[in-house]
Amino acid sequence: MSQKSEPDLGRVALLETMRGQGKEWEVLAPCYGVTNPNPPWKTSLTAMCDCLDASGALATLDRRRAEDELAEVVYSDVPAPESQLLALVHTMLNRGLVAEGELASRMRTVRSRLEAV
Amino acid sequence: MKSKTIEKSQNNIGVLEEHPLGVQPRFKVGDRVQLRDMPYFFYTRSQMWARGVVGTIAALTYSDLVPEDEAFNVDGRVEQYYIVRFRQKDVWADYPFENDTIQTESPERWLEPIS
Amino acid sequence: MTDTPKYGSSGADQCHKAAPTVGEITDFEILEIALRELAIERGLFTADDHRRFTEFAESIGPAGGSRLVAKIWTDPAFKARAMEDPVKACLEIGIDWSKPTGFGTPSDYTHLTILENTPTLHHVITCTLCSCYPRPLLGMSPEWYRTTNYRRRLPRWPRQVLAEFGLILPPEVEVRVEDSNQKCRFMVLPVRPEGTENWTEEQLAEIVTRDCMIGVALPRPGKTADVHPVHKARRPVQSSHHEGAAR
Repeated sequence: MSQKSEPDLGRVALLETMRGQGKEWEVLAPCYGVTNPNPPWKTSLTAMCDCLDASGALATLDRRRAEDELAEVVYSDVPAPESQLLALVHTMLNRGLVAEGELASRMRTVRSRLEAV
Repeated sequence: MKSKTIEKSQNNIGVLEEHPLGVQPRFKVGDRVQLRDMPYFFYTRSQMWARGVVGTIAALTYSDLVPEDEAFNVDGRVEQYYIVRFRQKDVWADYPFENDTIQTESPERWLEPIS
Repeated sequence: MTDTPKYGSSGADQCHKAAPTVGEITDFEILEIALRELAIERGLFTADDHRRFTEFAESIGPAGGSRLVAKIWTDPAFKARAMEDPVKACLEIGIDWSKPTGFGTPSDYTHLTILENTPTLHHVITCTLCSCYPRPLLGMSPEWYRTTNYRRRLPRWPRQVLAEFGLILPPEVEVRVEDSNQKCRFMVLPVRPEGTENWTEEQLAEIVTRDCMIGVALPRPGKTADVHPVHKARRPVQSSHHEGAAR
């Protein structure tokens, strides 16, 4: 069941740290000579959006409306698909589906796990 | 049924027309209809550009529940969906091209018959 | 490290020699993983479902659509079957709209609808509400299709938007916009171009690009890839990816 809620257009500190680092795929991939137009996590993100809709946690129509507004107002300088990811995170934070603190903490854990390999 | 196939193919639309038992479509291809301009409280799949415009039934598609996000549609009734065609000149003031059209899908309850 | 070209962008100070993969783990990659793990732990969806939908996303591409069009062009009996029941016709060529759940995805459903062009009728597709797209047949939607730029402007000024893709149609041709706002998913069946007589299905499929099946391009002998002219925005945003509709 969808509920009408405007996205909170305030900046999210955690997401702000990712901007302007030159790590968006459209910038990074050419540096490595990688020609795949999409980063490897894009299909996983797509699947996540489908799952959230299927389970009722976040309906596609609601998610896309929030994404449209966030992409224009907050993340206008971020290319796709990073803008889609940031908008999704932003929306899920707004709706209390995840919390910023636990997300930041989990990111640290995931990074150490991947870099230890 | 053959005649329905011919109707659809004359409309250049290929789609399986599905009617679960008990659903009697109110409209047929060629009927003139007007998209109701209903107030809504939640997100709706009825676009603002189409509100109040008179168009023509171009195809019957499937029967389904009307989306839950419709303010007035909580009775859980299954009903027919249609592809409705409009002249662009009827949708937009000063649209410059005579022949252009626009289509969208609509459940039956959004459509008012026009004689 | 040998001489490497510098790419102008803040943060990307030094670039590396061509490699099969990007040699670093970005915050974006980490963020996606972290979000997904937390979502699963919170019961927002299951790992199994995510795996199923990821496999689906990885399995799709526009080749199915190209083959469908080529077969319709060359086989009149198949065309009749396809216009009567497009989803069943897809199954004949190995595209199953019921995947991965048995009744489709929550975005694509199972109501594929074919829009047939003629010399005097040209269809072009959008979803003004959220960018719905026939993914089982065409793969993931291109980024320009998802932008508000495309979705807001196409219904209002279709010919202007098409012109930005390099497609200009005479005024007597009917331009028909399809706004896919419900469960039907649409594919344009282009007119088979001249100069393709006696071509095989494979040859024909090569020139039916994704853009032709959305309706922003026409198939042409020799044109086997979608290439978009880049148009400078009248009021450019700082970054480069907001130029015109056609990127």
